[in-house]
Parts: sequence; structure tokens; C-alpha cells
Amino acid sequence: MIRIESEPWAAMVAHARHSYPNECCGAMLGSIVGDHKTVRVAMPLENAFEGAQATRYELRPEDLLAADKAARKRNMDLVGIYHSHPDCDAYFSKTDLENSCPWYSFVVLSIHKGAFHHANSWLPNLDQTEAVKEELIYGQDSDPHALKAVHA
Amino acid sequence: MAKILIPTPLRQFTRKQDSVTVHGATVGEALNALTSQYPDLRKHIFNDEGKVRSFVNVYLNDEDIRYLSKDATAAKDGDTISLVPSIAGGSAMVSPLTELPALSNDEILRYSRHLIIPEVGIEGQQKLKAAKVLLVGAGGLGAPLSLYLTAAGIGRIGIVDFDVVDFTNLQRQVIHFTSDVGRKKLDSAAEKMKAINPNLEVVRHEVALSSENALDILKDYDLVVDGTDNFPTRYLVNDACVLLGKPNVYGSIFRFEGQATVFAYDGGPCYRCLYPEPPPPGLVPSCAEGGVLGILPGTIGLIQATEAVKLILGIGEPLVGRLLLYDALTMRFRELKLRKNLDCPVCGPRPTITKLIDYHQFCGVPQPGAAAPVLETNVNEIDVLELKQKIDRGDDFVLIDVREPHEYKICSLPGARLIPLGEFPRHVGEFNPGSDIVIHCRSGVRSAKACAVLRQNGFQHVRNVAGGILAWSDKVDPSVPKY
Repeated sequence: MIRIESEPWAAMVAHARHSYPNECCGAMLGSIVGDHKTVRVAMPLENAFEGAQATRYELRPEDLLAADKAARKRNMDLVGIYHSHPDCDAYFSKTDLENSCPWYSFVVLSIHKGAFHHANSWLPNLDQTEAVKEELIYGQDSDPHALKAVHA
Repeated sequence: MAKILIPTPLRQFTRKQDSVTVHGATVGEALNALTSQYPDLRKHIFNDEGKVRSFVNVYLNDEDIRYLSKDATAAKDGDTISLVPSIAGGSAMVSPLTELPALSNDEILRYSRHLIIPEVGIEGQQKLKAAKVLLVGAGGLGAPLSLYLTAAGIGRIGIVDFDVVDFTNLQRQVIHFTSDVGRKKLDSAAEKMKAINPNLEVVRHEVALSSENALDILKDYDLVVDGTDNFPTRYLVNDACVLLGKPNVYGSIFRFEGQATVFAYDGGPCYRCLYPEPPPPGLVPSCAEGGVLGILPGTIGLIQATEAVKLILGIGEPLVGRLLLYDALTMRFRELKLRKNLDCPVCGPRPTITKLIDYHQFCGVPQPGAAAPVLETNVNEIDVLELKQKIDRGDDFVLIDVREPHEYKICSLPGARLIPLGEFPRHVGEFNPGSDIVIHCRSGVRSAKACAVLRQNGFQHVRNVAGGILAWSDKVDPSVPKY
């Protein structure tokens, strides 16, 4: 499960909408406890794809390295990567899969005609042959699972 | 002793340590030391062949070791080694809009043979319904494309064409019937398509695609299918597709051979990667000049239609980076690997073409509608009526036909000597530079070239038959068939 707090979530949506009709990308920093991930900070990064960015994005490894350093500095972890799919569902495309890595959560935001529509989080496997959907909760500052546990 | 920073998800294999300090004189040794110490980590960094996994970049301090000495890069005390994944992606696919249109019960019945294929199903059929496909040209390739894409349930099909149906089209452009001769191809095609599938929306673009209108027309479509027969439009379609990020499903035909591939899709090559420059004008004949087996565009057009549907459904392996070659005579398919050209002026990393250019000038051919280049002045031409009088009077002159033998068999002019244009230069010496010489072909284009050859060789009385044997049929002898 990955939960994105309201502040980083707003930043991600704003970044995706601002980049429309192109794709945007960025890093998500936060913490990991077991398989519960919490995103506390969204770090917009430059889409470095040289070509039509309406359907492609590329992260510079240097930028990712900087994001990892920033996370360590704040005592956080690099939890995942986000990018947007303009006028397209938030599925994990073949291109996404083949250029992914199994270490992180990949959050895809579907932007429909410039407005946020829906989002999914994906976990690619080691060989990058398939990705499974991960439960995604966004815009919530407390963990509903944790609350449920308390109430139970 | 170098320090290796461990990415968060891999810390479960390093007893939660976020960095591990290891011995090793080089980066390669350090990574081996790390994975010997924590064997569970190995498969996450190395593949089965022991190579660092393709998505992993190894950095020494702030530099990628690929640009240093790779595995052999020296690691000193205090150096930091980082494992950084290379990450990219993108929808890179014909956008199925978020809210797919529902199917009516009639549509469910109509498309039932699609719906029961697991790879298509209801969702696939909805994607087809949501899809917007642009066909450039309603001719040989456009005919099978429009028929089958319509039947398959594409929601909107746009067609760019400004031609009218001609008798010579009927041998292969099966969407047009004999009764359609003289009608606009757009109207003829749209009528058949609506009859096949009333759910379809047909958009008629009755224009010549140009640098001025191409981006505006293409931008509303998910993918473009190129069924053009000329180089300026082919380069125009290619560049516009690359600039807009739309896949370009390409096909071309000549006599018994065809080609097909998908350009400008998912990081694959474009038409310019394959052919950076157009061929010299006149070198590659069009269907009108070279002829084409009537069935051939059916085969190639349906390969294009198949690729278009696959791209929309997002299934299978698209024909990207592969040029499919088809030879009807030997009935063989071959495949050539196409690579993206890193120096490609339009889709390469440093493009020099960032907007549409003048494609007629680029291809060295005249703008349609513009005055044809003056190959022949009127003084050097002879009208068919004058030629008829000349023959009837029994004038002393030489009449040469520069068409091909198989064309000569279809029809010929009285007393003409056949010398195909390709062999013509070898025969120049057989004529007297002082003779009165008249040359003809089918329409007057090839014979103009032959006239120029003679004039360069000092011949003074050389004339080209204006309009060729087609004009002869129109004005002199209607019993001569036109082809």
C-alpha cells in the first residue's frame, strides 16, 4: 500500500496539469514500514526525453541520484517515481514497464483534457515483464488502515 | 574501502543498513564484495549472466562509471558508489480516452466475434470505438483500409483526398464502383463506409495535405495511416507525425512488391531514419507510371489495417523497427531491421527540423497546381492534330515511341519506332542530327526527356508530342485505348 499525503499529492497533480499536454515526472520521498509506504514530499524532476514528450518521459539518473541524496539528508527514503499520462489511462504501458525498475512504486496520474482524472500505483517485477497494481491512497494525511486497526 | 549506498528497497537484504563499506580496488570488485557479503542482493543487481542489470547505472561519486573506466574504475578510500536505476516510460500508445464509450446491444451483436477474443473483449471494442484514425489517401491502400477499419468498429475515420474516381482506379481501389467514376473519392468512399457500418463517423478532408494544414488536421487523430503515392506527402506525413507524437502506419506498393512498417512509435525509427533524402525526381515511378498488381494494395493495406488495430488495442508486437517486405511473385515476406538514426534531422536527439518545411522543394518536384517546369517550350512541341496531318501528308520524318514494349502492345501510333526511354541514349547514333524527329510516349513526360537527350547531342529538329498517346486518343482516334 502506498499513501500520498495531501501536500505532495497536490504538488504532483499541479505538476502533471502544468505539464499537460506533455508528460511530467518526479520522485516521491517518504518512509517505508513493512509494505506500507508513505509519501511526504514530492520532488518534481525534469522530463529529459528528447522528442515528443506528450507520450514519453525520461528521468536523468543524475536527478534521481540527487533525489536519493535529498531523501537521505531529510532522513527519508526514496519511495517511488511518478509520471503523468495525458489523455490516457493510468495503466502501466509497455514503455513504462521496459524502462522501469523493481525497486520503487510507480505512480501514474491520468490527466484528461488538462484535469486530473485518476491514478494508479504499479510495482514492476525484477525482469520488467509485468507490473502488479499496488493499493494507492492519495490526498490523505493519516493512514486509514492504521485507523481501522485502532478501531478494531 | 569504498562506501556503497543501498537503495531503500534493497536494505532488506543488507540488514537494514543504508550504506555498506567494502574492500575493493575497483568498482567491479567493490560490487562483487558487496554481493558476496549479502548474497540475496546479488540477483537484484546482477542478471543470470553476472552482468549488472540493464536498468542499473553505477555511479562513483557523481559520475556514471560507463563514462569512466566501467567496472575497472578505481575506487579509493572515501569514494561513494551509488546504484541508480535508469527510468523512463510514457503512455506511448494510442490514447484510449479515460472514459471509453459504451457499446449498444446492436454493437455487441455486430462485434460479437471480436468480443469473444480475450485479447479484444468489450474493453478492446470500446477502445476501437473511441479511436480516431486518419487515412491519408482514398486510393489503392486507402480502399481496403477504409473498408476493414470501418467494419472493425473504429469510431471515427478521417480521410484526406481531393481526387475523383477514374476508370483506371477500379482495377484496385475496390471501395469505388464503376458507377462512381467521376465522383469525388471522398463521397464514394464515405457512402460505402456508412453502408457497412452506420455507427462510424467519417470526416472528409477534401484538401491536398500541406505544410499549412497538416498539423491542424492530424492533431485530432490518434494515429495516421499513410496511403500516399508521392514523396512530398510521405515526408510531410512523417514529419507531422513525429512533431505531434502520432504513430504513422506506413505502406507502399510497386508492381508486385510492397512494404509496410510503423514509424514514429514508441521510440522507434521514422521514415527519415530509413530514407534521409528523397530519391531524385522521376527515379521511382508512381502506380500511374510503373503499374501495380491490383491485388497488391489489398495485401499491404490490410497489413497496415492490422497494425492500426493492434496499436489501438495495445496488443501484440507492433511492426516497429522492422520493415516488412512482400513479394507477390515469389509469395514471400522478408523483414529488415530498421534502426533509429541518431542523426535523424526530425526524430533524432538533436533535430534540425522542428517545424514543417516545403516538401515539394525538398523532393525537387513542382507544387501541384503550380506551373510545371518548362521541360519543353511550345516551339518544341507538336500537337497531335498537326502530327496526324504530317502522317497523312506523308512527310519525311522519324516518329519514335519511348514507352515500354508491354505498353506498345496495348496501343501504338502508325509508323512509330519503339525505343524504350532506358535504352534511348544508346540509339542516338542511329539518327541523323539534321532529320525531322518527333517523339511520343503515353502522356508526354518521358518523350520530353528523350527530346532533351537528342538536343544535347546537337539535334535541331526534335519535337515532343504534347499529351502523348492519351491526347491522340482524345483528339484524333478514339479507337486507341487509354490506359
